[in-house]
Order: sequence, then C-alpha cells, then structure tokens
Amino acid sequence: MLEVIQPGLETSVQDYPGRIGFWNQGFPPSGPMDSWSFRLANLAVGNPAGAAGLECQYMGPTLKFLRDGVIAVCGADMQAKLDGEALAMWESIAVKAGQTLSMSSAKSGVRAYIAIAGGIDTPPWLGSRSTFHKAGVGGMGGNALKKGQVVPVAQAKGTPGRKVKADSRPVFSTDKTWTIEVVPGPNDDWVDAAGHKQFLATNWKLSSKSDRTGFRLDGPQWTFAEKAHKKAPEHGAEPSNIIDQGYPLGAINLAGQTPIILVNDGPSMGGFINPYTVPSAAFWKLGQSKPGDLYRFKSVSVDEAQGLRKKLNAICAPASIA
Amino acid sequence: MIYEQPKFMPGGDRYALIEFGNEMNLELNFMAQGLATAIEQSKTKGVVETAPCFASMLVHYDPDAIDFADLKKEMMALISSLGSSDDIELDSRLFYFPTVYLDPWTKECIDDYCAKITKKEYDPAFIARLNGLADANQFARVHSGTEYWVSALGFWPGLPFMMALDPRCVLTAPKYNPPRTWTPQGTVGMGGASTAIYPVATPGGYQIFARIPVPIWDTEKRFPQFENSICLFKPGDRVKFVPVGVEEFNDVEAKVKAGTYVYNVVEYQRFSVRNYKKWVKSLDLKARF
Repeated sequence: MLEVIQPGLETSVQDYPGRIGFWNQGFPPSGPMDSWSFRLANLAVGNPAGAAGLECQYMGPTLKFLRDGVIAVCGADMQAKLDGEALAMWESIAVKAGQTLSMSSAKSGVRAYIAIAGGIDTPPWLGSRSTFHKAGVGGMGGNALKKGQVVPVAQAKGTPGRKVKADSRPVFSTDKTWTIEVVPGPNDDWVDAAGHKQFLATNWKLSSKSDRTGFRLDGPQWTFAEKAHKKAPEHGAEPSNIIDQGYPLGAINLAGQTPIILVNDGPSMGGFINPYTVPSAAFWKLGQSKPGDLYRFKSVSVDEAQGLRKKLNAICAPASIA
Repeated sequence: MIYEQPKFMPGGDRYALIEFGNEMNLELNFMAQGLATAIEQSKTKGVVETAPCFASMLVHYDPDAIDFADLKKEMMALISSLGSSDDIELDSRLFYFPTVYLDPWTKECIDDYCAKITKKEYDPAFIARLNGLADANQFARVHSGTEYWVSALGFWPGLPFMMALDPRCVLTAPKYNPPRTWTPQGTVGMGGASTAIYPVATPGGYQIFARIPVPIWDTEKRFPQFENSICLFKPGDRVKFVPVGVEEFNDVEAKVKAGTYVYNVVEYQRFSVRNYKKWVKSLDLKARF
C-alpha cells in the first residue's frame, strides 16, 4: 500500500499493453508511453513485464510506503530519493513501511516509471488497470493520483539488488533532437512527392499542445496529390479530409495542416488522412521527449518496423536483468 | 465507387487498413461490418481486433503470429466469401432524441473558436451555403428529415459515426482546419457526409449545429440502456433527431440529472437491405425538404 503525500504533476496507474480489444467502441489502449522503461522496471522487481505500475510525467510524486516492499524506478531521471537519500535508478530496492519516496522534476527525459513488487492492485476496468484520464476510467477512480489517496498494491516478495543491464536501457537524446522511425501509410498516396520529401527533411517541433491523446507538431505547410483535391464530396473539401476511417495507434494524423501523432490515449477513428505511422518500437522516444524538442522522421518498411519491435521485445525480457 | 479489389495498406508495424471504396453508401459499410464479423467467427490467427467504419476496416494484428503478406491473403479470402448485402436483414433499434438545432451552446463554441483560433463562417450557415440550401433554418429541416444509420463507433468511446438513410437529406461539409480544442457534450456535428454526436466534451473537427441533452455513454450505468455496455449504440442502430426548443432541452436535461429520464427507443423493427434499396429507387432524389 502507498499513501500519496504529493501527487506530482500527473502520476497515473498504467499497465502494458493496456486496454486492448475495444478499439471498435472507441476505447484507446492507454498504458505507459515509454513501455521500454516501464517493462524493465517491472522485470527488475520480479513482476511480469506488463504489471500495473505508476507513470510519472514531468514532475514525480512523493509517496509513503505503508508496508515493506521492493520497488524500482526507471525512465526519466526525477532525482528520486528515499527518506532524503538518493535512490539508485534501474535497480530493485527494498523499502520499509514508513519510508518516503520523493521525486522532483525530470532532468533527462519526461516520464519516470515506478514498479512495485506485486503490482498495483486497483480494480481492472475492461480488462486493464490503465488510466484513461480524459474519459475518467481505469486506475485510481479514472484519474491521476490525488493527495491523500492510498494506492493498493498486491502482496509479493520481490528481490532487491537486481539491476537492469546498462546496455539494455534506453538512451535519451541530450541535444533535444530525436530520430523517429515512420512507416509510410495507410494514406501516403494523398501526399505528393514534394510533400513527402519535405516531411522527411523537416525538423518538426513538438508543440506544448500535446498530451497522452496526441502530439502536435509545428512545421511547414503540406502539399497534396491530385487525389486529395479531386474526390467525392463526402470526404470533406479540405485536402486532408477523408471519409472517416479507423486510425492506427501512432498514426501521423493530418488535421488540416497540423500533423498530430496519435498516441496511447488517442482517437480510434476520424476523418483526416494518416500519411505515415510511427511503429510501436519508436513510441518510447515520443514518451521521453518534451515540448520544444525536434523530431526528424526516418522512413522504414513494415518489415524493418517489425524487426525493431522484435528487437525491443527481446530487450524487455528477464535476460536484461542481472 | 466500390473498388473491384479492396485496397490493403499498412499502418506501421501492427495495423493494416482495408479500403472497400471511396464513397459513402450502405453497401460499403456492410462490407466493412461483414468482414469484421467474418474475422470474429473464423478466429483468424494473429488478428487482435478490428475497427470497421464507413468504407474501410482497420485491422490490429500481432506480427509475431502473422506477417503482413499472410494477413492480406487471409483477409482477401474472407472478403471473397462475403455474401450479397441484399440478403441482409437485421434487428435495428431506433432512438429518438430531442434536439435543439442552431442552439446557443454550439454557437458559443464556434464564437470561442473564431475569437481564439481562426475566424470562420457560422457552421450551419456555411453548410447551407455549400449545399445550395436557402439558410441555416432549411439546413436544420433537411438534417432532421431523415433517420441516421449508426455505421461505426469510434474517435471517442461510444461516439456514433452515422449516415443519412434518406438520400434527399445527404449533406456534405469540410472538417475544421485546424480542429477545435473543445466541443460541448451532446453536440451534433457533421464532416464529409457523416453525422456524429459527441458523447463528452472533447476536441473535434466536425461542423457543429445542434445539441442533445441525452447521455450516449454512461460509466455509472444509471439508465437501463447501459446495462450491457457503457456505450448506448451499436452498429446497425438508427437515430432520429427531433427538433425541440431550449426549454424542452432543459426539461429533459433535468430529468437526466434526476435519473428519471426514459429513453425513447423502439426495438421491434428489422432493417431489410432489399426493402431499403427498393425504397431509395422510388424516390425523387432532386427533391429537398
């Protein structure tokens, strides 16, 4: 059990892969934005990789442990302290009842993950404990943690002193620029050659109007193929308008002229084109970048994207813990 | 048009979009819904879930279980096994919603958008002009003159994507550029030829012009309609917007708050595609209400 002394900016219960199977009713999966760090934190404390833990955004919480346990903090460095002493990240640590974990603002990256042996034990909703704040479902009463709440944790022993191997950890950008893989499609044929060239040659700036539903990007105007101009009126007249369709998670959704990357809490359908899709293996980079950072997109094939996924899944495995 | 061969396009490492055509008609929606049902029944290996919409269906698959090329083969085989939509007959509930057209709440939202984001014409007047109607009042008459077919749920939990069943009431509109950052709960809007109801206050891209006081999703399940799902609708439902004034809206809203509202829904009808097509053929499509 954990008592919330200070909730931090937006700390929420998440599990991996989240609320899967309800896309056709409009429910997003939610889950951790950086599932690489999240899974390693769970594995370090001896949990299954997907067990429910906490995602801390920008500024972490202060939590009091109400019983002995084992925790691990991975992801962004929020200068975690246990009773005022610096707490090592990327390893499992024994905590005693009455001790306090305190975190401050992120020094590198944006999202930190706290795993607790046994996992957080809030009631699952549609098969997942992940919080979907915007609709008020999952997690602790459908919201981010609030001061004074007691977060339930399942009983488990856990093993302290297990470290995530150094070469298994994600390396965050230090110069505010990120290379993000994209797969062309599903609607890449709505953009003309100049538009594609420009998309891949631009440093897109992550807008502050970004959250767990979408990452808005600032950059140049798009140009379109003839198909986007000459079409049946039911698409809608703007070039980026298409008959409403299912959206892939990670889609670079072109709303008018503003590209929005649809992330974990994003919409399942809509009437804008998706010329590119960010594959699952690149999501952690979105999760660790902050407004003002620059994205440079790199086009990869479906096969390459699936290869990256395989590689990441191999890293997020017990062999990465020593 | 309906494509001779459906188009099969990738969406990153774990999605594919299957497009059946590039227009909106009931036929295409039946293909998308039919394929989703066929996948569910055949339990296709590696398919995690599907999201059928008006003219296309998104598949979420597990690349560890099936690769892109095999997925395409499996999908094409299922598509070719789908029967003619003429034979489809299905239970279809009809929901009546008290609706304030040209209401003060969406007006306020549009004014806010104009003040903070970018100037635009008042949405109902804009749609009227684009569709050759006299004014916003005629637009409201035409828009409310048909039943709507719930083709899909998506964008937001429980949000219905709908199409006008009466071809004389089909209207089209572009979507916002850029999208709105907020929309009042219960707003009725349209984009392309699709009409939707916003279940909660969310961002949005449709032109907006009306509002209903009745919840279409309810996590607390306060009304019997939500017993099996927190989403009111399922594909194949129909919706009729009944124009009312603000006073009646407020009255219904108070009943909803008190938990005494009774949903106006009929559940005894079956929708026959053959009968529907026969009726459409008999209409003078140039007529407007």
